[in-house]
Amino acid sequence: MENIIYSIYHPTVLVGFAIGILSLFAIGFQKDDLHALILTDVIECAMLIIIAGVGTDLAEALILPGLVVSLAELLAVSEVLITRKYLKSKRPKPRSYRLFEEFKLPLHTGELKYNIEMEVLKTAPRFLAIVLIIYGAILSGFTGGAVIATGLLFYALSKRALGLEISEELKTMWEGISGLSGIAWALWVIGFLGFFVFPDKWLLCLLMAGLGLVIKVGSKLGLIGYIGEVK
Amino acid sequence: MIESITGYLFGIVPLGDIVFGFSEFSIIGFITAVIFTIIVYLTNPEKQLEAQKFRVEDKLEVVSLKELKIRRMMAIVCGIATAGAMLTCDLFDYALFLTLVGIANIGIVSAVKREWVLTASYQYGLIAIIATLPLFGSAGIILAKTGTLSIFELPKTQTSLLFEKIMFAAGMAGETGIAPFYAAKAEMFRAPGSPYILMIHLSSLLLIVRTVEILLTI
Repeated sequence: MENIIYSIYHPTVLVGFAIGILSLFAIGFQKDDLHALILTDVIECAMLIIIAGVGTDLAEALILPGLVVSLAELLAVSEVLITRKYLKSKRPKPRSYRLFEEFKLPLHTGELKYNIEMEVLKTAPRFLAIVLIIYGAILSGFTGGAVIATGLLFYALSKRALGLEISEELKTMWEGISGLSGIAWALWVIGFLGFFVFPDKWLLCLLMAGLGLVIKVGSKLGLIGYIGEVK
Repeated sequence: MIESITGYLFGIVPLGDIVFGFSEFSIIGFITAVIFTIIVYLTNPEKQLEAQKFRVEDKLEVVSLKELKIRRMMAIVCGIATAGAMLTCDLFDYALFLTLVGIANIGIVSAVKREWVLTASYQYGLIAIIATLPLFGSAGIILAKTGTLSIFELPKTQTSLLFEKIMFAAGMAGETGIAPFYAAKAEMFRAPGSPYILMIHLSSLLLIVRTVEILLTI
């Protein structure tokens, strides 16, 4: 086993150094600031390759700090580059300007610069919410209720972040499920009592208690997302 | 060997992998870094009166509180990282402290919102990123050769580490050693509110001495 590691070790380190030196040549020929920055990040990756080439558990623990440090430096230098670009163009820096501005939603900026029609923004929240609700229903009990509530909350919040309304139909259904609260409560209590009164029918009682709890917790916690809609 | 350079060893703080050692050398370096950090915290930047070339009136440069705060924080982070680098007895932690000082130096230089200062800061940032390859790479190869990164254990091994030492020194030079040159290149002494670059000079001076001590020891 060790022989294999030793035989891989030298070429890996050599590859790391080769990448580093070639990137240095590339930076030397490069005139554009941004390209030079990206090429220096390649050198960081070569550093990670060398550490990974050592191939021990300790080296594995060293990769993460190295990666964090490289990311911090990259972010710092790119911020410097952005600030300098704004100073150079003599334009006043917008107050809300940040590094990840491209990912801001219309809710934060208040304006939609381009007419972005991305289907995934509308479909993905619905899909994820359905997956979470089905998974929560299978889990049942308090955990399942929490998972269902997470799905509902995610749906409501992502709708609001996109600036869309939740459809009336869905709101009515949601309210209806919350209205079941009393029945769900009764189901849970009866199921819980059933454990002691009819120990033979434990599976039925377990399902009753789990179903009652999942509806109750899920609908109640999911209401948090609904409250925001009510003005 | 370690006693002859670092002086009497008072003891170590074994925090798992992160070993801090107190020797005469490291305590003196630590206290120096802490004192200068306190001085930096208490100092106010001076106001500058710039003479205009073709005009009669002079221009007063005032540093706003917001700009002052970020630069002072960066200088303090730099001082704390220098103090930590004085005490640590783990080669990789030392490399991490060096990189932290490098990032703090970029922050100190780039807090001045002038174009020529930011250009120098950007170029220094590129050099600092490039220098992580020899720094961490040599630490990794030392680990591969000897199986340890502890500065107490490394002198006991018989392996020759000359190439790795040269690489580590090169990485240190790129990370913090050249910082004063870039501060001079950016004419930070001319930029308003300059005294925090004192920390760049002090940290690079202390770290060069400490690196030489480590490389002679292992």
